[in-house]
Amino acid sequence: MFKKFFIPRMIQYFTVLFIGITLVFVIPRLLPSDPVSTQLHRMTSQGQYLDPAAVEEMRETLQELYGLKGGMLQQYFSYWKRLFTGDLGPSFTQFPTPVIALIRMSLPWTLGLLLASLSLSWMIGTVLGGIKVSFPNSPFSKATELLAMGIRPIPYYIMALVLLILFAFLFPVFPMAGGYSVGSKVGFNARFIKDLLRHSFLPILSMVVLEIGGWFLQMRNVASNLVEEDYVVYAEASGLPKSKIVFSYIMRNAIVPQITGFGLNLGFVFGGALITEMVFSYPGMGTLLYSAIIAGDYNLIMGINIFSIVGVSTAMLIIDLLYPLLDPRVRYQ
Amino acid sequence: MSILRVENLKAHYVTRKHRKVTRVLAVDGVSFQINKNEIYGIAGESGCGKSTLLKAVSGLIKPPLEVVEGQVQYQFDDRDLDLLTLRGEQERREIRGVRISHIPQGSMSVLNPVRRIRKSFEDIIGAHLGIKDKREFEDMVRKHIEALGLDWNVMHSFPHQLSGGMRQRITIALATILRPDVIFADEPTTALDVVVQRGVVQLIKTIKKEQQNTLVIVTHDLAIHANLCDRLAIMYAGKIVEEADAEALFADPKHPYTEMLLDSLPIVGDRTTRESAPGAPPSLVHPPSGCRFHPRCPQAMERCKLEAPNLIEVEIGHRVACFLQEGIVDENVQEFDAR
Repeated sequence: MFKKFFIPRMIQYFTVLFIGITLVFVIPRLLPSDPVSTQLHRMTSQGQYLDPAAVEEMRETLQELYGLKGGMLQQYFSYWKRLFTGDLGPSFTQFPTPVIALIRMSLPWTLGLLLASLSLSWMIGTVLGGIKVSFPNSPFSKATELLAMGIRPIPYYIMALVLLILFAFLFPVFPMAGGYSVGSKVGFNARFIKDLLRHSFLPILSMVVLEIGGWFLQMRNVASNLVEEDYVVYAEASGLPKSKIVFSYIMRNAIVPQITGFGLNLGFVFGGALITEMVFSYPGMGTLLYSAIIAGDYNLIMGINIFSIVGVSTAMLIIDLLYPLLDPRVRYQ
Repeated sequence: MSILRVENLKAHYVTRKHRKVTRVLAVDGVSFQINKNEIYGIAGESGCGKSTLLKAVSGLIKPPLEVVEGQVQYQFDDRDLDLLTLRGEQERREIRGVRISHIPQGSMSVLNPVRRIRKSFEDIIGAHLGIKDKREFEDMVRKHIEALGLDWNVMHSFPHQLSGGMRQRITIALATILRPDVIFADEPTTALDVVVQRGVVQLIKTIKKEQQNTLVIVTHDLAIHANLCDRLAIMYAGKIVEEADAEALFADPKHPYTEMLLDSLPIVGDRTTRESAPGAPPSLVHPPSGCRFHPRCPQAMERCKLEAPNLIEVEIGHRVACFLQEGIVDENVQEFDAR
């Protein structure tokens, strides 16, 4: 079991990581712009006079710092070496703060925001989808279906802005922006947690409202096919109670693809929610990535990408390893 | 004594699309009686409505299937039951699995793929008797499945770990564990190879003998009918065209369609080419006028195109719906009168 099931999946996992991280190394180097020259140009263009020798010296220091010294191969090896020591290099724009420190600062915000919205929308959507399939003609199911179909096509940024205008501007129940009130002390106490929840409420709500529809529809589609399955019909013919059929026969089988979807989305948490964080000025990975792209901060972009790659592939590995527990037809062998 | 009486049953598949109503007349005016303790077979080609008939008389009526007309009456030992007047999920649930049970087609997917076999037994027993004592439950199931020649170890398996024949035996065990009065088997041996088919037929016979229940078998496989049934009905295009004791029917088929069906069966040692019934089963949306078999019938008369023959008793226990038999009946009656 170990040999046949576990090892190939681990090999696959590390191969994906290796290729992904290598691509992160290669792609910025294919760009026509050279970050060192850009940086030097930025300095000289400010009208400052610099001695050519000093410029040359500075170029070398910068190359060293950015990991751009030596040939491609040499750079590649030192890239891996630094990666293993947890060093993603310094940020260009917030020099000399290391990239890893910036990520460490943003990651908890994003994790909190996205984990909460993902699990909430997943749970609600799945349950509603199950109800819809089990009681297709009840007014409640019809209403949820209509709502899900109606809300889902709304572009996310519009939904976010509408919520913001409604509940932060017209009826200022929630704050407009930020992750916590300016000046409040970060700490594990009731007051700060309340402040945190107040700030995260609208961003989470905007994501949950839109994502419920997707989970609902997926659950409904999978489960409505299961209703026609022989084992469901046969369970009805054997006089099993409706609740048993719904939970153990329909939902139990429909949950498998739902969990796969959940796992995949879990991986994307590390990339942040760009638009949400932008609209609500939330201090997460999305904002960080956005400012890095605007400023051409290669190291930071690479660092965030590496986190995303590791996140997505680890989530997939976990789902893959757990799969036989969900569906006995997939066996450890 | 009859246990099930069906009168003029009409079950149609009704689909409504843009106010246009399409009706598939899958069962269109069927009457018959099933006696207690007998094995009653229903035969016919694919699409003749035999599975629909089974669904309608066993109460598995779900849209688009609708019972338009007719009566389905059960006479159990302790009570009478009008199946079509049952309203509400609860009432139907009490009947299903206990009074009436199903042996579905021997296919891959009758058992829940994510549940162990033991759980399936727990579900059905729990639903009707309740499981108070684990030991009692185990004893009950063990006794039953061992009587059917199954090993207790299969209880811990998932359906996909078992062979097709084994799965079908499990389904039969599930269908019979509560000792139902009537068992409906819809193509119980289809999709199984002949060796397994034999085993399944034996198993059904064993249970029937032990539990003394009534069995209704639907299949297109006449060999299974010959092997199992006491009485046999032949269906064509939503109607019963002939019904008789199985032996009488095989020995002396009276309806041209039955004759054709029997002629198509291979006989060991006979090397002449077998004739199949020419043509294809008719559309049940727009069935042929008159006798529904007339477009394919070699002996069709002008009258067959206009009028539909009734199912009449030509010999004791032998009913046929064909104008060719009518004269014979009249002669018999005249003979009787003359005497």
